[in-house]
Amino acid sequence: MKNLKLASRDTIEQTVIHVGDVAIGRDFVVMAGPCSVESEKQTLETAHAVKAAGADILRGGAFKPRTSPYSFQGLGLQGLKILDKARKETGLPIVTEVLDPRDVSWVAEFADILQIGTRNMQNFSLLKEVGTTRRPVLLKRGMFSTLEEWLNCAEYILSEGNPNVILCERGIRTFENYTRNTLDLSAVPAIKELTHLPIVIDPTHSTGRLSLIPPMSLASVAAGADGLLIEVHHDPSTALCDADQALTPDRFQLLMRQLRPLYAFMDTMNT
Amino acid sequence: MKLNEIRYKIDRIDRELLVLLQERMGLALRSKKFKAAISDPHREEDLLARAERLNLDLVERSFTRQLLETIIQESKRLQEEDRKLVAFQGEHGAYGEVASRELVPNGAYIPCLEFVDVFRGVEEGDLDLGVVPVENSLEGAVTQVNDLLTTTDLKVVGEIKVPVKHCLLATRGTDYREIRVVYSHPQALAQCRGFLMRNKLEPHPFYDTAGAAKMLARESPKASAAIASRLCAELYDLDVIKEGIEDGSSNSTRFLLLSREAYPGPGDKTSIIFAVPHEAGKLYDVLRLFAEADINLTRIASMPLRSDPGNYSFFLDFEGSQQDDHVAAVLAKMEALAIRLKLLGSYPADSSSA
Repeated sequence: MKNLKLASRDTIEQTVIHVGDVAIGRDFVVMAGPCSVESEKQTLETAHAVKAAGADILRGGAFKPRTSPYSFQGLGLQGLKILDKARKETGLPIVTEVLDPRDVSWVAEFADILQIGTRNMQNFSLLKEVGTTRRPVLLKRGMFSTLEEWLNCAEYILSEGNPNVILCERGIRTFENYTRNTLDLSAVPAIKELTHLPIVIDPTHSTGRLSLIPPMSLASVAAGADGLLIEVHHDPSTALCDADQALTPDRFQLLMRQLRPLYAFMDTMNT
Repeated sequence: MKLNEIRYKIDRIDRELLVLLQERMGLALRSKKFKAAISDPHREEDLLARAERLNLDLVERSFTRQLLETIIQESKRLQEEDRKLVAFQGEHGAYGEVASRELVPNGAYIPCLEFVDVFRGVEEGDLDLGVVPVENSLEGAVTQVNDLLTTTDLKVVGEIKVPVKHCLLATRGTDYREIRVVYSHPQALAQCRGFLMRNKLEPHPFYDTAGAAKMLARESPKASAAIASRLCAELYDLDVIKEGIEDGSSNSTRFLLLSREAYPGPGDKTSIIFAVPHEAGKLYDVLRLFAEADINLTRIASMPLRSDPGNYSFFLDFEGSQQDDHVAAVLAKMEALAIRLKLLGSYPADSSSA
């Protein structure tokens, strides 16, 4: 991995990114919220619920990359305005996906963290564009990508002058089809060996199964991840996308009650 | 033309009709000051007859008459209401109107071309109250207004700090990705420089923020947006693409409410203007009076005297009323020291933290 001039562990010990009240890379950060922004009511209700449960950052998609062109594509600008309102009401910073280089500057006006989805990990023109903004970037791992390819994509963003990249492991394609993807938890300690950038885990898309999300969340903490990105919907049965893999606010709250003590325990183990 | 294009044009015309109607009502209210009675049958008949002479094949004479009669009826009803005529500088939707609506709820807000029109209008009794900006937290004093304050006989009867929250406005349905040009007052464009640069938008100076919004609504130029208040979005049926696009976070403008009569109560804040002889320590002598009386100054500004180049007027705002004994005592001592002392008035302070 000789090409990693900026992402390599040799350059910096640990990148810490301050967003709102949290320091990603130092604190354990939980980003939670709906897959997509469907309406003001749905987003605000979910935002208040995840805030009450102790989440640090609100996630929610305004622009949705869908497998089918006929699936719900997101509310666009209207969705960004709703997220802005949710931030004002709850105080939670916003992480949201950007799909199109033409949208980057506009999404950056509304979001606190720009998300690059798994399908766009190697969309180099998009990576360069987010590299020119001042917003932190959450870079999801491509579902067919090696760690080296992933880190080279982070390097693209860093080399444009944006030092704030958060990596997100979201599962990779394997022959296993019981789960939606295979969560590569070994990526966490491996990434820690290779780079100074923080890494969070998305247990929702990597497993695609509700029952597996809580145990894999806990396993992520044990593996040393810097945080989680979890889908929560105030009423999953009505969700316009990924309805069968969003946690209810109650289930999320229970998970949060397990996560924090485990993180505190792991912290004492490591010091 | 396709149906959606036709409807787009119809919407634009409806918007314009309503904006013009608003202007017409404002003028009707102003006319009341010059008339003995609200109703003037000769004038009404004139108006109707003139409209009926028009030969518009699609707008029939009977319809024209009915429409104008309805408008006249409504304009007479408004004149009966006895609303205060509150003058501000700029077009409808200007920050001056935002301040006016806060200071005088239920008024009739009358746009004026220049600050001097606001002052003269109130002085001559054509308008009841005036609202003018005196200072902005980023840009400092509004010199034209301060200059007019030195010569006017009007009294300050209120103040308000209006947070300046610039909005990027576009006609409904505009794709934000297509916006290239942004119209607004040069000061507003300067205050949003960072936003414009980040989104590669080209600033185009316009005479007024609200004027830019109005132009956008009337002419719908391609790939264009305006920077103005949220009120403009409501007045001209525009989309707010983003609110709060200014670079600094705490940008506010302080407005004064002007009247021919002084504020009826004691008030708790006072504004004065004074000038002292060009001698060492004279300004200090005045300021010392306030320090010794333990009076908190909230604003001190100086401006060159137009009548006497090289000399300065000082604008002083402080806590307390002219009717308070300790304030009255200081003002009496000032009379002996100053060349000129002008009391603008005591009024209720704006207690909001904006």
